Amino acid sequence: MKLGAYRYWHETVLAALIAALMIGAAVVDPRFVSWKTQIALSSHVWELALLAVPMTAIIITAGIDLSVGSAMALSAVVLGLAYQAGANAWLAAACGIVAGALCGTFNGLAVAWLRVHPLIVTLATLAAFRGVAEGISLGRPISGFPASFTVLGLGTIAGVPIAGVIVALIATAAGLALARTPSGLSLYAIGHNPAASRFSGLPVARLTVALYALSGTCAGLAAAIYVARRNTAKADLGTGLELDVITAVVLGGTSIFGGSGRIIGTVLGVLAIHETREFVGWHWEHEELNAIVVGVLLIAAVLLNRLFTRPTR
Amino acid sequence: MTGAWLRSREAGVAGLILLTVAAVGTINPRFLSVENARDILIAASPGLIVACGATLVIVLGEIDISMGALMGVCAAVLGKLVSAEHAGLPVWLATLIVLSLAAGIGLINGLLVTVARVPSIIATLGMLTILTGVGDLLMAGETIGGFPDSLRAFAIGHVGMLPMPVLVALACLAAFTVLTRETALGRRIYAVGSNAHAARLAGLPALRLKVLAFTLTGLLTGVATLISAPQLEVIEAGFGRQFELFVVTAVVVGGASMSGGAGSIAGSALGVLLLSLVRTALIFLQLGIGATYWERAIQGGFILAAVLADHVSRRRRVQR
Repeated sequence: MKLGAYRYWHETVLAALIAALMIGAAVVDPRFVSWKTQIALSSHVWELALLAVPMTAIIITAGIDLSVGSAMALSAVVLGLAYQAGANAWLAAACGIVAGALCGTFNGLAVAWLRVHPLIVTLATLAAFRGVAEGISLGRPISGFPASFTVLGLGTIAGVPIAGVIVALIATAAGLALARTPSGLSLYAIGHNPAASRFSGLPVARLTVALYALSGTCAGLAAAIYVARRNTAKADLGTGLELDVITAVVLGGTSIFGGSGRIIGTVLGVLAIHETREFVGWHWEHEELNAIVVGVLLIAAVLLNRLFTRPTR
Repeated sequence: MTGAWLRSREAGVAGLILLTVAAVGTINPRFLSVENARDILIAASPGLIVACGATLVIVLGEIDISMGALMGVCAAVLGKLVSAEHAGLPVWLATLIVLSLAAGIGLINGLLVTVARVPSIIATLGMLTILTGVGDLLMAGETIGGFPDSLRAFAIGHVGMLPMPVLVALACLAAFTVLTRETALGRRIYAVGSNAHAARLAGLPALRLKVLAFTLTGLLTGVATLISAPQLEVIEAGFGRQFELFVVTAVVVGGASMSGGAGSIAGSALGVLLLSLVRTALIFLQLGIGATYWERAIQGGFILAAVLADHVSRRRRVQR
């Protein structure tokens, strides 16, 4: 079999790297790889994973969404204010998710209808959404949510965190949608050649708006999970999260130029970042090393990818 | 000629600046004082300096988002090198080391983008992440202070009416305006940015120009750190964070296109001024404590308005 013919090189290398890391971790510190530790540490990863799924689809269309961290903060603040105004916590969470969806729809309309570069649109809304979050909450944290709500972030079903089940369902649905449905496949076409896609009758504008709206909705859902876990909603949450999300997606093998990428790769990318980070933090007790390791991983992954794929541009 | 200029992006941003100044000045005349103008310019100088390099990078169709984290590392290294409680090196040597470090990081960015062919947003995102970690490691959760008087005197000093940081910024702006408008090098940068394929066929050294632009951006970030960090009593963790967003946004507001080939030093400088003005204007409008929380929302609104307005006007021009 020729090297170029196997489609899952990137995923294989990434999985091997994660396996090597876990084996190394087991040798150095067996407690780290225990089920109990892994479940406890997993609570740090759900928001990242939840946002990485729609980001994969967006980057496949050669787009980008820098505003996800800010949209998440705005959703969390809307959730908090609705709860403070007397709404039931679950109804408040629904308000937060709607706010996230509106943020995403705004991005989508600006990208699809006005045809402004997504990097520019979401750079502007990165500032604007967080600004609105700070403005309406006056920078104050909101806490005191009931235990019936915090179960969303802290509870488990048969030993598996509820948030993890939600993320797994969404990732599976997105993976199938991207690989098996006409709409999913047309996202690859849009990423390869948007003009040709439009001329061949694909609903490019409608798909783009829907995609960014979904990204915002996931940001709203991530906000609900985050607030439920921390029992507090504040306008500065999720600062810089967009960069972690993009790092995970690119690490997972999605091309930043669009047209290629898979959810399974993103899942492995998220896992690689999460495990590396937690192990570095656990073993060396230097949180700062995390950033260095993740940055090196990102650049190394792109360089490795070059070795295994033929350059198309 | 004048008619064309009036329809340009630079004129639009300049108009917005005048409108903002007039409106805020009417409500609070103290906004128009010389001291306030000076404060705004001092606060804007690091942005003005780095925007020169960022404009070249964006005109070449690339992007650099590692400047803020690089600034944090430069400030920490500078503090560690000069302060008496750490290395206590002479100021000239520390300055030299910081500038070479900054230019070196820029060079690595440039080589990653050109030789290793990593997309610039990914290469500089990786660099941003790494440098943020390095900065935090260097700071180790503490503050670094004790800049020697000579360095402080440079950062808060004056030459006649002009504060030193503003003078340095003006010198950079002048040098890069000449570079982009009057030299063959400048014309080549625009040529590569507007049509990379044609430029390659014409034999232009696109890769070398890109390496140069990234290296210059790194070097200018070092310069910006030298004039801004010693203004503070102590450097805190998080110095320079999100500075890259400010600079990239200002360059885009000033008319540069993310697809390359368009943008000017004057436009970027006006973009930096406009964003800095908005920040100060909100304080002078005395809208109460709550208003400061709306600062970022209003800045975001300004950026959106500028981007959308430009887009609509550009499309109208195409339709004509």
